[in-house]
Amino acid sequence: MIANVWLIPAFPLAAFLINGLFGRRWLRHATGWIASAAVAASAVLAVGVFLEVLGGKERTTVTLYEWIGVGDFHVNVAALVDPLSSAMLLVVTVVSTLIFIYSNGYMEHDHGFHRFFTWLSLFVFAMLILVMADNYLLTFVGWEGVGLCSYLLIGFWFDKPAPQKAANKAFWMNRVGDWGYTIGMITIFLVFGSLTYTEVFEKVGIATQANLLLICIALFVGATGKSAQLPLYSWLPDAMEGPTPVSALIHAATMVTAGVYLVARSTPLFVAAGPALQVVGVVGAVTAIFAATIALVQFDIKRVMAYSTVSQLGYMFLALGVGAPVAAIFHLATHAFFKALLFLGSGSVIHGMQGEQDMRKMGGLRPKMPVTYWTMLVAGGALAALPPLAGFWSKDEIVGAAYQNGHVILYAIGIITAILTAFYVTRAMWLTFHGEPRDHHLYDHAHESPTVMTLPLIVLAVGSATLGLVIGFPPDAGFIHTFLRPSVEAGVLDRVGEEPRLVTILALAAVSVGAGIVGILIGLSMYVRHRPDPSAVARAFDGYYRVLVNKYYVDELYDRRIVDLMRGAFGVLWAFDVHVVDGIANGLGRLSTLGGSGVRRLQTGIVGNYALTIVAGLLAVLVVYGGYAAGVFKP
Amino acid sequence: MSVPVGAFVAVSAVLFFIGVAGVLVRRNAVVILMCVELMLNATNLALVAFSRRAGLPDERGSVFVVFIFVIAAAEVAVGLAIVLSAYRNRPTVDVDEIHAMKG
Amino acid sequence: MSFDIIQTALFALLTIGVIGGAAGVVLINRITAAALLMAFTFLCMAGMFVLLGAETIAAFQVLIYVGAITVLILYGVMFTPQRERPYALFFQKQTPLAALVVVPIAIAVALLAFTFRDGGKAAAGGGDLPALATSVFRDFAFPFEVASVLLLAAMVGAIVLVRRDDE
Repeated sequence: MIANVWLIPAFPLAAFLINGLFGRRWLRHATGWIASAAVAASAVLAVGVFLEVLGGKERTTVTLYEWIGVGDFHVNVAALVDPLSSAMLLVVTVVSTLIFIYSNGYMEHDHGFHRFFTWLSLFVFAMLILVMADNYLLTFVGWEGVGLCSYLLIGFWFDKPAPQKAANKAFWMNRVGDWGYTIGMITIFLVFGSLTYTEVFEKVGIATQANLLLICIALFVGATGKSAQLPLYSWLPDAMEGPTPVSALIHAATMVTAGVYLVARSTPLFVAAGPALQVVGVVGAVTAIFAATIALVQFDIKRVMAYSTVSQLGYMFLALGVGAPVAAIFHLATHAFFKALLFLGSGSVIHGMQGEQDMRKMGGLRPKMPVTYWTMLVAGGALAALPPLAGFWSKDEIVGAAYQNGHVILYAIGIITAILTAFYVTRAMWLTFHGEPRDHHLYDHAHESPTVMTLPLIVLAVGSATLGLVIGFPPDAGFIHTFLRPSVEAGVLDRVGEEPRLVTILALAAVSVGAGIVGILIGLSMYVRHRPDPSAVARAFDGYYRVLVNKYYVDELYDRRIVDLMRGAFGVLWAFDVHVVDGIANGLGRLSTLGGSGVRRLQTGIVGNYALTIVAGLLAVLVVYGGYAAGVFKP
Repeated sequence: MSVPVGAFVAVSAVLFFIGVAGVLVRRNAVVILMCVELMLNATNLALVAFSRRAGLPDERGSVFVVFIFVIAAAEVAVGLAIVLSAYRNRPTVDVDEIHAMKG
Repeated sequence: MSFDIIQTALFALLTIGVIGGAAGVVLINRITAAALLMAFTFLCMAGMFVLLGAETIAAFQVLIYVGAITVLILYGVMFTPQRERPYALFFQKQTPLAALVVVPIAIAVALLAFTFRDGGKAAAGGGDLPALATSVFRDFAFPFEVASVLLLAAMVGAIVLVRRDDE
């Protein structure tokens, strides 16, 4: 099965080509099933690969062909099949399959149905390349590919202005990150002479601290852009303009985790680079709490989930930073399930509410959409890290590792963020499903979604509930730990001090659970019993409240400081393009015309002139001949 | 001996270039045709002169001259036909005024 | 010896005739006069041929040039009447430029011509008729036939060109 690992991206690629070429005219709604079947096939193959890696083939490189071989620079199109990549393959394909099936129902009435599945298939292809690649350059190909598909899918409804702007914003911010990635990649080649993971990591010792620091910071900038961390995060909430399945797949479960994957893959470099790992951890933690505060006050249900994603990604980077890469990947997997479920559930709500996304217009939907409600409840609980749901195991491990490796401040930030997380998820659930319906017209027409949409919800709910237990129990000694450890060995930092005592572990767990419960209780108190009443709180802290609702005015800041500056620079470049470049092009054209009209004057139409020209030619011939004969011109 | 062959050739040359000058200078198309005849005559003279003074048994140059006669006659006929056609179009044979192929 | 002087004198006279006639063709504005001077030039040319010993060619010269071609030219003159114009307008606008081009070449070629200083080897005495006849009708019979076809073609072409469209 590992030898056929290249079939895994081949199926979505085939789906992309078939849907792209034939989707509009001939296949139409069949495109959905073709794409879903392709991804499902990939999922099956991914399971097979996973089992084979599990069975002992720990690290295999499957080379397709030599891509670049120029002098000392060799890059192959090859796949590195090891525990980390096979786990990612599994997560990507399984979650994608469920979301594809869901989309068949959600996008049913959309005119661009075939286009949706074309781009989505391309996306899965690119993501799989990203995860499977054995070198930084091929990963970058996948990296760029998912960025492109993100742009195409955020701007799916391209006839409206908001999606256009959001798509552009996502692409440009990603580009800034890509710049970091490129610098990192070039430096890696200059220092190590190769871009292949295995070769680079073997030679870590030959690089200086400064080199490694540069590489790691540059790569992390790339990860920041792709995974929406500070300061390149603000594209993700705006990306909610895209269809909800896109938000679920790309901006929750897969693309945004690419940055986490990159850093996890590069752990040998980061560990050897000294403060680089610290930077990762701090940025992750700060982003986590920052985004959680914004999520507290948002009214668009998808925006709440978006900021939640930014926050949870922050947790993953925090885990990487404190030396627990296995926890980071674990949280990546559980988050993929429960966040995808939360998004798909929101999509189900929006679908039932005829496209309404503002929670202020919802309320009391529980009896109308029971399946959606219960599955989202499970996911919400997982997000709030309530045991025994999946989120608890992974998040607890992260904050536990932070504490045990001595990063007390980061631990505290993690706990506070957990409280905030539990609060905002409670608020979202309450405003949507409980209480009195606030818009009766919409309420009357609200309905549960069709089976094709609710079935994936149920499957994801099962996953959100059980995944943590199945693969992550007992903590630090569960299946996932033994499985992943060889891949990310370098990044697992030893505990400060001796083995933790059982008491410590239980105490940490209690604090985590406590944080979640506290958040939920505060939420319930404020929204059910109105003690204190949310609007009163908002009025009392009006200044802070407005800052939060306006997302700390970050977008406005970027707009003024950066975008306007860029516009000035672009104006110069545009002028250059119009006047100089076009000037040269047009000038050449005009030169030709002038030449032509000049030479044209030779054609006087008067035969005598032509005869004169002939005789003048004769004169020239005689001159030349005479010159040769007299020895003036040398032959 | 008698007149050197170079003298004949010199006359031929001068005559030829008078013909060329005439073609380039005169406006009337018929006169231009006359000057072309002068040029042809000049070549005839040169050919015959070389042919007779080369000491060869046959008269190669003269044979060529016979053919030039033929061609010259044909050319004058056709040339005049063209001039007359053009004259019918616009009643002018002034070559400076016939410039429909300009540009 | 006396023979030589006569030959040289004749040559000189004929040269004056030829060159003078040609100059007249180019410079005289009355077309008819120019045409007749052209005929005179042809006659002097025939004399030159006789001086060279090519009597047959001289005969042909008179027949074809002085006879046919001069008549054709005169017909042409007759059918294309032009109004009178000042003398300057008889010359094309490019006259100065033409002079600039032609004069150097003329001088060069004329000088070249004078390098043939020797007399050349005279052919066997007598005329050229037997040798010419043999050449034309035996050695160069094919080009001869082709030339006759050419004349036919030229004749047909000339007729077609001057036909009026409504005929």
